Amino acid sequence: MNDTAVLRQPFVLRFATVGFIVFWTILAAFPLLWITLMSFKLPIDAFASDPLRVIFGFTTLRERGGLSVTALVLGAFALWLAYHGAEHHGRRFARYLALGGREWLGWLLAALVYVIALILGLFWILPAIVRVVEAILSHIPVLDYLARPMMGLTMQNYRAVWIGYRFYDNFINSMIVTTGTVVISLTVGTLAGYGLARTRSNVAFWLLIAALIFRALPHSVLVTGYLPVFIHSREFLAPLWNWHATAWFFHLFSDQPPTLYGQPLAVIMVLVSINQPFTIWMLRSFFMNIPAELDEAARVDGCSHLGAFRRVIMPVMWPGVITTGLFSFLLAYNDYLVCSLLLDAQSQTMVPAITSFFNRETTTTDQVQAVAAAVSITAPLFLLVIVFQKQIVSGLTQGAVKG
Amino acid sequence: MMKSITAALLLSAATALPAHAACAFKNTVPLKTISAGFQAWKSVTSAMQECGNVQSDMDQNFQEKEPAALAANPALYQIAGVANETLVPLLNDGTIRPLDALIKKYGGQLQSNQLIKINGKTMAIAMDVNLENLMYRKDIFEKLNIAVPKNYDEVLDAAKKIQKSGLVQYPLGATYQSGWNIANEFVNLYLGFDGKLFGDHNEPAIKSEAGVKTLKMMKALSQYMDPEYLTADSTYVQRQLQEGKIAMSNLWASRAGAMENKQESQVVGKIGMAAAPSAYPGGKPATAVWWDGITIAKNITDEQADAAFRVAMEGIDTEMAKANSEDVIWLIKGYEPGPLAEGVAASADAGAPPYPASTAMGVMQTAIGNGVPDFMTGKKSAEATLASIEDDYRTGAKEKGLLQ
Amino acid sequence: MKPRIFLFFVGPSLFLMTLFIAVPLVSVFVQSFFVTHQVFHEVTTKSCSPGFMKQTCTESTRTEPVLGPDGVPKTETHFVGLGSYRSLLKPAAVKAAFSAAGNGIGDLLNIDFYRALRFTLTFTLVTLPLVIGFGMLTALALNNVTQAVRGPLIFTFLLPFIITPIIGALAMRWLFVGNGIMADALNGLLSQHFAILAHGWSLELLMLFFRVWYVAPFAFVIFYAGLQTVDRDVMESAIVDGASRVERLRYVIIPHLAPLITFVALIHLMDAYRVFEEIIGFSSQAHRISLQWLTYDLLVPDSSGNRAISRASASSMLTLIGIVILLIPLLRRAWREHLGRG
Repeated sequence: MNDTAVLRQPFVLRFATVGFIVFWTILAAFPLLWITLMSFKLPIDAFASDPLRVIFGFTTLRERGGLSVTALVLGAFALWLAYHGAEHHGRRFARYLALGGREWLGWLLAALVYVIALILGLFWILPAIVRVVEAILSHIPVLDYLARPMMGLTMQNYRAVWIGYRFYDNFINSMIVTTGTVVISLTVGTLAGYGLARTRSNVAFWLLIAALIFRALPHSVLVTGYLPVFIHSREFLAPLWNWHATAWFFHLFSDQPPTLYGQPLAVIMVLVSINQPFTIWMLRSFFMNIPAELDEAARVDGCSHLGAFRRVIMPVMWPGVITTGLFSFLLAYNDYLVCSLLLDAQSQTMVPAITSFFNRETTTTDQVQAVAAAVSITAPLFLLVIVFQKQIVSGLTQGAVKG
Repeated sequence: MMKSITAALLLSAATALPAHAACAFKNTVPLKTISAGFQAWKSVTSAMQECGNVQSDMDQNFQEKEPAALAANPALYQIAGVANETLVPLLNDGTIRPLDALIKKYGGQLQSNQLIKINGKTMAIAMDVNLENLMYRKDIFEKLNIAVPKNYDEVLDAAKKIQKSGLVQYPLGATYQSGWNIANEFVNLYLGFDGKLFGDHNEPAIKSEAGVKTLKMMKALSQYMDPEYLTADSTYVQRQLQEGKIAMSNLWASRAGAMENKQESQVVGKIGMAAAPSAYPGGKPATAVWWDGITIAKNITDEQADAAFRVAMEGIDTEMAKANSEDVIWLIKGYEPGPLAEGVAASADAGAPPYPASTAMGVMQTAIGNGVPDFMTGKKSAEATLASIEDDYRTGAKEKGLLQ
Repeated sequence: MKPRIFLFFVGPSLFLMTLFIAVPLVSVFVQSFFVTHQVFHEVTTKSCSPGFMKQTCTESTRTEPVLGPDGVPKTETHFVGLGSYRSLLKPAAVKAAFSAAGNGIGDLLNIDFYRALRFTLTFTLVTLPLVIGFGMLTALALNNVTQAVRGPLIFTFLLPFIITPIIGALAMRWLFVGNGIMADALNGLLSQHFAILAHGWSLELLMLFFRVWYVAPFAFVIFYAGLQTVDRDVMESAIVDGASRVERLRYVIIPHLAPLITFVALIHLMDAYRVFEEIIGFSSQAHRISLQWLTYDLLVPDSSGNRAISRASASSMLTLIGIVILLIPLLRRAWREHLGRG
């Protein structure tokens, strides 16, 4: 648009905009920032009612040491670099690593490299630099204040969670469940979304309405219904293994019907189903915006429906799929109800594992550790949104927001 | 595929758990345990794991999973941790086995008060007791020259004096969170007033004089508490004590250890323990005795049961109790109670009753927990509250088949 | 598309939804008309439980389940018709409340179901305009700043939505509970002690605030994406016609975003009507309960293993009916659109 006089914003409007944005930024980020601060303190500081004590952690500083102004400034700079790098160069880097044109491989490798670089940078390189700078500063009068520790910090909560409680097991379980849910959810949902977008029958309409009502069902009711079936699945499924028409097929998988309780695959199927209504609605409205003429032209050229889907639709569907996939990811990654009830300790994911720190007999130490675990699990979410935020917006722009 | 996942899981678990020498035998039968996850269970399960091939599920949903998982055939867990209340569904469903033969074979170290007997058969083995007893700030009581209260009238007097002194934010703390917690406090006081919860044939009997007295006392006590008392669970009250915000509380004995933890507590060495106050002068302490213990599933092979029992015995042996003596009040041979157990001993000596767990009591506890807050917030009168608790109980008990 | 091919595309999704949602839904529907329970009888038994250092044994009459021949407890199933619905809706108590001796609305709101319904409806209907309003405001504000800062700002604005809800609720709670720093700051402002979690109304406000905080980012990102597709030509001709900023917002932007507002409203109505996390997160049971909490409370077994499956099923059917009623206007709109397309 031209920069005409009409478009120039009056001062009041600009002032109000900036003011509102600052207000909303604080509102959005403050609770999270605060618990992040808490997670680096000893319990006695973390739950203190004096905010200065939570920020500077006097007891923590005395007993465990802390960070100097220099370290804080350098740390903030390093975090900014990490953010900037992921946001601006993440995609290019992923494309660069996409061996043989396989984009998913590129993303995977890029994420791996990034995480390793991040850990190396934050835990080895950064401390080394900080130490050198501090050593130099401490010999200069006045400036040596910048090198003195002033903000208490301890990693003991994180160490307890990740090493003491083997949180990495839960991390791996979370990854299995989340990846499985996203992949299956998108595969099944893309087909259904496409089918629904290209039919005008009433059946399709009522199917969508039914899906909507399914989405409205309280999850706790569904999940509590699954528990007995999952635990007794061996008895429930026995007919399938015994009936001669199906027996040969199921015996390919195992000699006995499985106990579904504690099986990640079973939980993945539940999460996929619970998430299907939202997924097919999103993807349907996305496919509706891809002109039907495109695949009709392909069909005139002799492609089947599936062929047309593969040749014409698949190459252009990625923005919509990525956006929908992110919503699936959030659902599976943040799920508490399904995982806590249907998985056992060996296959438990991160969110339920955290709440087990808040058990009936928790001490404040447990609580600060829970906070540390909570902060840890939000880190991958950060990364995901930083890298994909442009895709979220562009996927929505092309899909849901038009339907 | 299922098979390979299971195999991988088993393999990883087997390699991950170190087989220590601290266990008297090498366990070769794969076992799984399910229990609550508080500190005592953490200590017991890690002692069990030293025998090898033991996987533990310390689950916040164990109440929901345990009855179902033990009813499966074969049972999904061999060893199940229980307490007074959680033993009830397992007994009702008949999913745990009598332990007498196993005790004869492997249970030489057990003391007679550890055996939970139903109809002459030992169904569970208790490992610890827990009850709510008075914890108070010795320094404040000394400074104001107040004697340790013996009954709740004295608690009110003491609270009044402490409030006047302004030494702490609130004189009293209590686990009055709506739901299970406040129901438990109600039951403690109600039993303290010698109230009867049930009449004949599971008919409710709390619409009584003792019921009204209990509610009135709870209301009077709440005047001295943090106004957010209806959200206060044990952890919250424990923190209030640790941070020096309250001067006394009738709190779970298993929380006593936390008062002396230097990393958390600002009142190290200042907390005294005493018997739970009685509801009226001269009455027995208004608190109920709880226990935690171990049961063995029925739907498993005898070989598994043997191994499970032996492992369980290793979990609750003297060595474990000595190494973790701060966790709770162990019932295990060789455990010597320290100063933190004084409140429990005094309460038990003065005749604190066991918690009257039963199927009907479970329904009652839920009805009380949802009903009492209406009185505390002033929505209903004492009589109306008790009447609606009885109504709620009747609806639940009829659905359960306890009432006709 | 031929039905057979349509089925091929939709089949897998349909199968999963049927197996994991429709079948449980039907079973919940059926269970709400039946009551299943164990059969009990009274026996006199001796039982021993541990005291401290000594044992207490008592002889008492206990209610024990009757065991069947295979050692499994016997159960009975009765058809109760609308009995479970009745014990939730309590028609007799409602009649009494509005009779001459009754206290009208006051008494009605003492009955759990109506108390929960009152809160759930208020919660849903009050948060809806707030979520849409704040979502729109943030989207418009962001659309009004330079491109360079938009990336980090989108990220920050999305934070409340992406973090695990339970963790968000707990973080909020630590800030406002007892001596949390926000509670202390508030006390400083009011210069007197005010306990937020001790009053029904302040607790309700806090829960509303949390929900808006948590969902507004979702509305924001949808609206922001929609703003990127506003037709430039239309916008420019509106400017040429001398439309003011407010007029442009009203006659160009809002109509363009209308389908999106419907979409956000639809999703939000469904989610808010199932409000549950807030009740647990702020432990507001004493003051405020919601319909889904009521269902959950009936459904989850107490420590003695009792659960009220039948009433829980009835309660969740009532919740479902409530959601469908709320959605009717939006569904009619969708139907008209479908007809228009066909």
